[in-house]
Amino acid sequence: MVYLDHNATSPLRPGVGEALARAHAELTGNPSSVHAAGRLARDAIERARARVADFVGALREEIVFTSGGTEGDNLAVRGLARGAAARGRRHVITSALEHPAVTGAVAALAEDGFTVTRLPVAADGTLPEGALEAALRDDTGLVTLALANHELGNVYPVTALAAAAHARGALFHTDAVQAAGKLALDLPALGVDAATVSAHKIGGPKAVGAVFVRRGLDLPPLLAGGHQEHERRPGTENVAGIVGFGEACQRATAAREEEAARVLALRRRLERALLAVPGARIFGAAEARLPGTTLIGFAGAPGQLVAIGLDLEGICVSTGAACTSGSLEPSPVLLALGLGSDGAAEGVRISLGWSTTESDVDALLAVLPGVVARVRAAGDDLPGWTAPGALATLEQA
Amino acid sequence: MGRTRVAVAMSGGVDSSTAAALLLEAGHDVVGVTLKLTDASGTAASIGGRCCSPRDIDDARATAAQLGFPHYVLDHTAAFRRAVIDDFVAEHKAGRTPNPCVRCNEKLKFGPLVRFARAIGAAQLATGHYARVARDGDGVRLSRAVDRDKDQSYFLFGLTPDVLRAVTFPLGERTKDQVRAIARRFGLGNADKPDSQQICFIPDGDHKAFVEARGGAGPGGEVVDEHGVSLGAHGGTHRFTVGQRRGVPATSDGQRRFVVRIDAATGRVVVGPRDALLNRTLRVSDLRWTATARPHAWPLRCAVQIRHHALATPAWVAAPDTTGSTVTLDEPAVGVAPGQAAVFYDGDRVVGGGWIEEGA
Repeated sequence: MVYLDHNATSPLRPGVGEALARAHAELTGNPSSVHAAGRLARDAIERARARVADFVGALREEIVFTSGGTEGDNLAVRGLARGAAARGRRHVITSALEHPAVTGAVAALAEDGFTVTRLPVAADGTLPEGALEAALRDDTGLVTLALANHELGNVYPVTALAAAAHARGALFHTDAVQAAGKLALDLPALGVDAATVSAHKIGGPKAVGAVFVRRGLDLPPLLAGGHQEHERRPGTENVAGIVGFGEACQRATAAREEEAARVLALRRRLERALLAVPGARIFGAAEARLPGTTLIGFAGAPGQLVAIGLDLEGICVSTGAACTSGSLEPSPVLLALGLGSDGAAEGVRISLGWSTTESDVDALLAVLPGVVARVRAAGDDLPGWTAPGALATLEQA
Repeated sequence: MGRTRVAVAMSGGVDSSTAAALLLEAGHDVVGVTLKLTDASGTAASIGGRCCSPRDIDDARATAAQLGFPHYVLDHTAAFRRAVIDDFVAEHKAGRTPNPCVRCNEKLKFGPLVRFARAIGAAQLATGHYARVARDGDGVRLSRAVDRDKDQSYFLFGLTPDVLRAVTFPLGERTKDQVRAIARRFGLGNADKPDSQQICFIPDGDHKAFVEARGGAGPGGEVVDEHGVSLGAHGGTHRFTVGQRRGVPATSDGQRRFVVRIDAATGRVVVGPRDALLNRTLRVSDLRWTATARPHAWPLRCAVQIRHHALATPAWVAAPDTTGSTVTLDEPAVGVAPGQAAVFYDGDRVVGGGWIEEGA
């Protein structure tokens, strides 16, 4: 199997599985317990916390462990917005490109009476100059914008965006789930107030993640319960997961520079070859993009059928966020770039990572043109087949 | 000979699961596909719906995993809403009796499924329908299933020759009892799952409430007898279908009466004795022909079926004019309902059909 879907999840890095198994076997106590078994688990969590903090350039007390990216985004976005609302600021700014975890958290705030502004984006997914400044208001409490987009791979100038938010007294959260492990992360230097990361995107275990929240900032919990994580995230800690997360952070940091250069070279070679397929176009920013992410469309070929065709050849790619895929419906991210519904259903996301090799790329390139050609030839003559976009047009007629 | 790839459309029920198992046993490279058509996420209906619900998708996935072949879900929720559900509501509002299953097969389901099959390089698309399809020279022959109780050819009359050439129905030669026995032999978890009865997007079966909640309520008005004498008021034409007895007042001497005609423009629901339901001629629109070549001898002699589970009645179909054709039945039939399909058979073979506009 050729795995080219690292933005969905990245395989466990070497050594992480062993660390997980050891933790499961040896750390049997509840970290909140006073006895020796509990102290052992507590100590393991705190050592992992230090590793995660190092990974993002933060202090240990600025790290709150969660069950992953979705919980982290909800905790940070809803918690910070509620805090800001208590100071009379009930306006939230986000963009049209955010991950469903952020979009959903913001939608929940809107239901609670918050006002929401979604920044429009340019055709390549970049934020137009001055767009955030123009949207900021006196009552803006929170701005939440991803550091790197999950589908396009675009990397956003978060340092400048956070500074703009702060200039108007608003807090700034960034979803750093996709950026972590691929870019050097120094969250305090970025100037953000909060950020979300997830272990399984960097080669750690699933269902564990963390929120960075700047020292001195209140973060009310989402759940009611115990005192864990300094009252910010009640519930018995996922001890083994946290240990595995710490292990993955350390290994990702050690490998990052070499990996990023190698993956970028692979992606460049891949993209040169893919663009030779007639009707191919790469979405997203030309330059400011993650080293290993390519979102590509082949005109006339629904992305999901291309992804399925590749899967049957033993190659794993996706059509977008795993949280929204499984659909021939257009991608919300591509719609936000201004594509029509046909074009927006054509995206195929190929994401490379720490385990990707030259031969993986070769394997993809060997079969992709044939798969695309077959998908293109498959459907348009069929009576009864109507592309989602065409259907809408028929109804208007 | 290499293994031939076949795409199998899986609803999560016993029929399509058994079709997949049979193809696998015959040595095919089976790829499962389920269309997600309704979206009731988070509601009780999303867990226990009758067909195409997340629960059924889980069942399809589990069968594929158990038998060991890949399975994919294609989300056509939005297209289904536009092509089938909106039409269902609009037809009810217009006082007609829509058949969403036929419409779904014709307008929605088979196009994407055949496209999927071709896109993955499958030689054919298999479904669990009870019907038979075979090549016939350059054309294609669609026939009733061996199991007459389960025969679903009525629902498939709208498929074009292009689509029919791409499909295969592995259960067409088998009875339902045989199918359940095969399912048990394969150890399929859904071997004894009940047949779906309800319209898939109305799991509780309450059509009236469903239509009303979507702005499809027909106008209120009067229930009148065949002489135009008012028998009282009613709450909306969408609450009635032709042939319905429930909610229709009997005559003063206790004779049963039935809904004979619905006029959504005036809000009138005309009721009458059973005899008034009899129609010898019907107007049929949107004709289609199953064979590649249209019939050329008119009027066409055939047997016409006007509902699922109705017997086909010998009839003459007049040469089509610009808006459709007139069908004359040898014997008057009960329950000719505008909005239902009229399917033309020559023996077991489907010749074509159309949509009933009115009976006379």
